[in-house]
Amino acid sequence: MSADQRIPVTVLTGFIGAGKTTLLNRILTGQHGRKIAVIENEFGEVGVDNQLVIQSDEEIFSMNNGCLCCTVRGDLIRILGRLLKRKDRLDGVLIETTGLANPGPVAQTFFSDPEIRDAYRLDGIVTVVDARHVAQHFDDGRETKEQIAFADVILLNKTDLVGAPDLDRLEARLHRMNTAARIHRTRNCDIPLDHVLEVGGFNLSRATDLDPRFLESEYSFEWAGVYELAAGTYQLCIGHHSAGQQNDHEHGHEHGADDHHHHGDENELDVALLPVKSLDAIDLAAARDLAVQVFSDQEKPVKPGDAVTPGTTLQRLQLADGHGDFPVTIPATGRYMLFTAHDVPTHLHAADQSLVRYVHDQTYRHEHSHDEEVSSVGITLPGELDAKRLNDWIGGLLAKKGQDIFRCKGVLSVRGSDKRLVFQGVHMTFDAKFDQPWGGAPRTNVFVFIGRNLNREELVSGFKACMVS
Amino acid sequence: MNLSKTWVAQLDDYVIDLAWSPDGRTLALASAAGPVTLFDAAGARLHTLPGHADGTNAVAFAPAVIPESGDRQPERSILASCGQDGSVRFWDGVSGTQTAEAALGHAWLEHLAWRPVTGYPVSGIRNPVLAAAAGRKLVLLQPDGSIAHAFKDAPKTLSALAWHPRGGAIAVAYFGGVCLWAADDFRAQREYAYGSAISALVWSPDGRWLVAGAQDNAVHLWLPEEDQEFHMSGYETKVRELSFSHDSRWLATGGARDACVWDCSGAGPEGREPLALPHADRVCAVAFQHAHGLLATAANDHEVELWSPTRQPPLIATVRLTAPASKFAWSPDDTLLAIGSQKGGVLVLKVEG
Repeated sequence: MSADQRIPVTVLTGFIGAGKTTLLNRILTGQHGRKIAVIENEFGEVGVDNQLVIQSDEEIFSMNNGCLCCTVRGDLIRILGRLLKRKDRLDGVLIETTGLANPGPVAQTFFSDPEIRDAYRLDGIVTVVDARHVAQHFDDGRETKEQIAFADVILLNKTDLVGAPDLDRLEARLHRMNTAARIHRTRNCDIPLDHVLEVGGFNLSRATDLDPRFLESEYSFEWAGVYELAAGTYQLCIGHHSAGQQNDHEHGHEHGADDHHHHGDENELDVALLPVKSLDAIDLAAARDLAVQVFSDQEKPVKPGDAVTPGTTLQRLQLADGHGDFPVTIPATGRYMLFTAHDVPTHLHAADQSLVRYVHDQTYRHEHSHDEEVSSVGITLPGELDAKRLNDWIGGLLAKKGQDIFRCKGVLSVRGSDKRLVFQGVHMTFDAKFDQPWGGAPRTNVFVFIGRNLNREELVSGFKACMVS
Repeated sequence: MNLSKTWVAQLDDYVIDLAWSPDGRTLALASAAGPVTLFDAAGARLHTLPGHADGTNAVAFAPAVIPESGDRQPERSILASCGQDGSVRFWDGVSGTQTAEAALGHAWLEHLAWRPVTGYPVSGIRNPVLAAAAGRKLVLLQPDGSIAHAFKDAPKTLSALAWHPRGGAIAVAYFGGVCLWAADDFRAQREYAYGSAISALVWSPDGRWLVAGAQDNAVHLWLPEEDQEFHMSGYETKVRELSFSHDSRWLATGGARDACVWDCSGAGPEGREPLALPHADRVCAVAFQHAHGLLATAANDHEVELWSPTRQPPLIATVRLTAPASKFAWSPDDTLLAIGSQKGGVLVLKVEG
């Protein structure tokens, strides 16, 4: 199918002892009979069973006055250039970096050197993580975090040495650092090879695989519940000691009351109440996407006793000591999804004071905290972008912050084109093209930045300013 | 001008280097896979040497040594080769037997350069002397495999070597610059900073110009005796192909679809329009004759062209290969042009008149 005849390259990174060599040997065994060149770092572990193993010494070339974004790996240019001098084409190249290697220059080698770019295709960066020791490696230096940030695929390896709750926490942490990477849990790097090869991590056309669900950590609401409501009037009670509250905590939405400290004013809560067709994933996602748009709009203040209404208006409830009761008017029988900015106790009562239970609920991780130096900012926004504004913004952003933005990818809807604009960048180097048509699909923009010290608010407002008003 | 095909041969892999013996009787061809094959000038296969495990990178015949007074050693043909295995091997160019080896570590050995024989010896080192680059290390080797001198390591991997035509100094290139090492006291005569990687180095035969082909799509020229330098940028790609005409006037360069020929007489190429010799694809090899005016150029579209840059029109002949050329070697008397190909082919053309 693919017209791309270039030699695929997979980069394996990870701290020493994480299992890179194990994965390398699994790939080589699985690719038996194909001509694969292995480029190993000079400290490479012995026992790689392959005819063509080349040791490299990780030599950094700073092309432009020491600018990090123009840094490439000179040894790779030399070795990959030499590997082209053969009669028969190679089937693939695997590069195993040292545990301390920065993947940035490795990736940039494949974009900034025309000879390399013409002959090779960087397919993906696979980072192997030692589930037991990675937290410690995070503290030891920046390399492990950078390797997570650059990854297309993360193998959370040695899962047999860590308990399930710790694994869940670790996976969540990795996901917050790099929301675009696929994370797989492995023992001994045992994984189907199609999860680590031909992942198309740098393939523009595959950028459309960017799944908004993987970016869910970045919503500006924390909780949503779906209620099946008949037309009529209800009472929405926020917080614990509300007037209508009966002894039924366990039936309402209590989660998050104690383990969460809210940012901002505790006496304000932004909510939106949106109709939702069904509990099918596609309808829930449509409501969620609509909520994203609603939450980015101007809010309407709602005083205690004022009504909350369904529709695309963001309503800011005024609370007292974190509590408040609000009448809700439902004009037509149906399913409604209530989105709340914070994960707080939320109860809905019918006119007869009985509790109305939600039929489905979902929490959205809303990371206000910037405790990770390396993180992801995902933006999901319906609507159309202005091409020139977008171009100016991205160009300026990467020129200014390119050192800290390790990778970015996006699928964008640009006014005037019926095709998706797919976008892909490594530091300051970026590439964009119009890809497949939107067809009947809703025109939504999905953009993710992965980097160091990212300012979410700034990125979101910058992106929004590119929208066609 | 009479151009004829004299013979063809096929190696097992990409022809990564080729060299004529100083007497023009033997052509050595190295395949990227490893073996080195010796042919006679008429195309008879003489020997196939094992070369280097995992691949050979370069071959070079020692220059004919002018016998020192009282020295009655029989003249012998010495071929040096180097490769991925980190060694330099010396072979008898007639019998094809290995005569010595120098193991220089695990780094690839990619560059060899015999010191031009000029009659005067180097600090007690007997001619011939071979410079070999292994990673950041530059050594001078004797044909018995012994290390006559090891220079201070370069800051980065050595990417090109070129002896001054009179053998008094060797220029070495690495990412970030060029160093000129004196051949008598082994001191750095000059160090030139350059902000990118350098893929090729060449001296003009009169020793006036030192020229680098660079990764940043440019050619950089130094005039070491005049403390001047020039920068010619704007190439389509990195420049790896460089060759000077025998009279030091013309510098042919690759790095684009046209082979560019710069006039280096007088004040040099700056401000002069180069002669553009067109190809339909990226130029991959250029080579002037040793003592005559013909220039051979090759491009990735499999075409080889012969030019006489000072004539109008300059194009003399076009030859189409079955694969892109990898490298040229003119025989010492300039009558034979050996062309190696990227698919292992060898074509030897005869040029008369």
